[in-house]
Amino acid sequence: MKFLRIVVENVLRNPLRTLLTTLGTMVLVFVVTMVWSVLSFLDEQTAEKNANLKAIVTERWQLPSQMPYSYAASLREGAAREADDIRPTDSMTWSFFGGSLDPESRTRESSLFAFALQPEKLMTMMDELDALPLSQAAELEIAVEKMAGNRQGIILGRDRLAAINKQIGDRFTLYGFNYEDINLELEVVGVFPPGRYDNSAAINVEYLNAAMDAYPQTHAGQKHPLADKSLNLVWLRVPNTQAYSQVAEQISNSPSYASPAVKVETASSGVATFLEAYRDLVWGMRWLLAPAILITLSLVISNAISISVRERQKEFAVLKVLGFKPFQILSLVIGESLLIGATAGLLSAGATWGLINHVMGGFTFPIAFFGIFYIPDASLWWGLAVGGGAALLGSCVPAWTACRVRVSEVFARVA
Amino acid sequence: MANEPCVSVNGVHKFFRRGSERVDVLNGLTLSVPEGEFLGLMGPSGSGKTTLLNLIAGLDKPSEGEVWVRGEKISAKSEGGLADWRTRSIGFIFQFYHLLPVLTAYRNVEIPLLLLPLNAKQRREQVMTALEVVGLADRIKHRPGQLSGGQQQRVGIARAIVTDPSLIVADEPTGDLDAASAGEILDLLCELKASLNKTIIMVTHDPRAASRADRVLHLDKGQLVADTPALSETA
Repeated sequence: MKFLRIVVENVLRNPLRTLLTTLGTMVLVFVVTMVWSVLSFLDEQTAEKNANLKAIVTERWQLPSQMPYSYAASLREGAAREADDIRPTDSMTWSFFGGSLDPESRTRESSLFAFALQPEKLMTMMDELDALPLSQAAELEIAVEKMAGNRQGIILGRDRLAAINKQIGDRFTLYGFNYEDINLELEVVGVFPPGRYDNSAAINVEYLNAAMDAYPQTHAGQKHPLADKSLNLVWLRVPNTQAYSQVAEQISNSPSYASPAVKVETASSGVATFLEAYRDLVWGMRWLLAPAILITLSLVISNAISISVRERQKEFAVLKVLGFKPFQILSLVIGESLLIGATAGLLSAGATWGLINHVMGGFTFPIAFFGIFYIPDASLWWGLAVGGGAALLGSCVPAWTACRVRVSEVFARVA
Repeated sequence: MANEPCVSVNGVHKFFRRGSERVDVLNGLTLSVPEGEFLGLMGPSGSGKTTLLNLIAGLDKPSEGEVWVRGEKISAKSEGGLADWRTRSIGFIFQFYHLLPVLTAYRNVEIPLLLLPLNAKQRREQVMTALEVVGLADRIKHRPGQLSGGQQQRVGIARAIVTDPSLIVADEPTGDLDAASAGEILDLLCELKASLNKTIIMVTHDPRAASRADRVLHLDKGQLVADTPALSETA
């Protein structure tokens, strides 16, 4: 602490240089924070959990997964047949319905992609919606009750609602494009809370099933081509990995799912499979982009500190004359660098966190089905660590140079 | 102990390598400086004055020979040991003051005390005492850029005496000053010697500065060529 004043005064000796180094550091830390926010979220989604797992059941040999809806009832029970078979603690089925508000054209403003599901499962099985703050949960619950009571109800994300230029209470017809000739008359009964589902939509699966059942009446008794393919995915909640293994075995061994065959995997594994298409992009971000930025950051700080050290050779010689040991001079130089790097890193990460999360409401990075990313709270110590770490690395050589100044040589040059 | 010299240089050789060439700077130099003496070192450029001063101040080590200061063989100390020893035992005054430009006069004088186990109150007492001795107690908040050359050298002297060393080495302390300021600085050095019994070794080209010393040694080509009493005595 005694030397802190000397460190601070030296950092402030050239305000312009310090300011430019700080700004450069802040920009680079900002980029690293954004990149790591995306990577850490994806890592979280693909990390295997030990408890309260979700399993996904999908068609084994085909993408997209298209199973008959008759599978739903038994899959919800985990294909349990014997008394000691494990049953999931909760479940949810998904059918994907894509359509357009305009039968003649399909544009971003007119298109809608909806999950057809059991309304009550929105609050218990959907990621993040099962852990909302009280006020948001209460609002969503009202919308869910309306959808359960009115099977033509639709709940939309805010951005999607704005894109199709509708509001709560409006009615519209959704002309199916994956379910051809199936047109749904829908009424907006609520919106998702802001965040992950801003571009999503959910409808009552009973309405879709009823429309599929009614199809033959208007199509010469012919079943809809997707009549036996309307179940795309089943979610099962199990308490732990052991229960998951047993449920997976029950489903895999059941003769009820022979054609088409099904497969069971954890949600994180399922997400990882989906992200396989982005593997190179993620790899590049993790092992090329982020390291390149960190190296650049170290070089920026190293350059600034090197110039400062070269200007102060005589001062370091004087400090040695006065009794400073080499490691003390090394500590002064590293201290200056750390002060700039750590402070700039923390400020940058904090500003990024505030700006992205609270001003912009997240940043858009379209990768897989994740549309919006947020900066995690951990970014604050990322900024400190990245700024401080780069400063430490960048100041090693200049600090070593400073502490190896030979007093007699410096004053010989002066004389 | 009373008769032991403050500084004793015995058979010291010092050479440097410039590529493959060996440059001899000091050749078998022997001298002693009693306690409380004000010694002047004179000689042409390249005679080895500053090198000798560096050896006595523990800033360099002899190639051969021994250097003793107040009963300690400093030529045998390690780099770390010399650094500690310099903090407590030596005050160094530079020709160009070499104050840290970003620190105030107070903070500049305080620097050596930061290396000692003193609390802030003790450091303040010693700093103010040193600045009062040099007559700059009213300039503690001034930075070097706000002080004249003479005032900066006074701050340099305050820094040199703040740890109460017994030996002060001065390398051309008046070399960058006008005549009036130089006279004030020399008065101050004489005062330090007289009232605080400091031993002072001063390198100088200036005969007027040398005339204030008790004794003047002349070096040429790394050897003592003359050992004269103060020039004022011979005038």
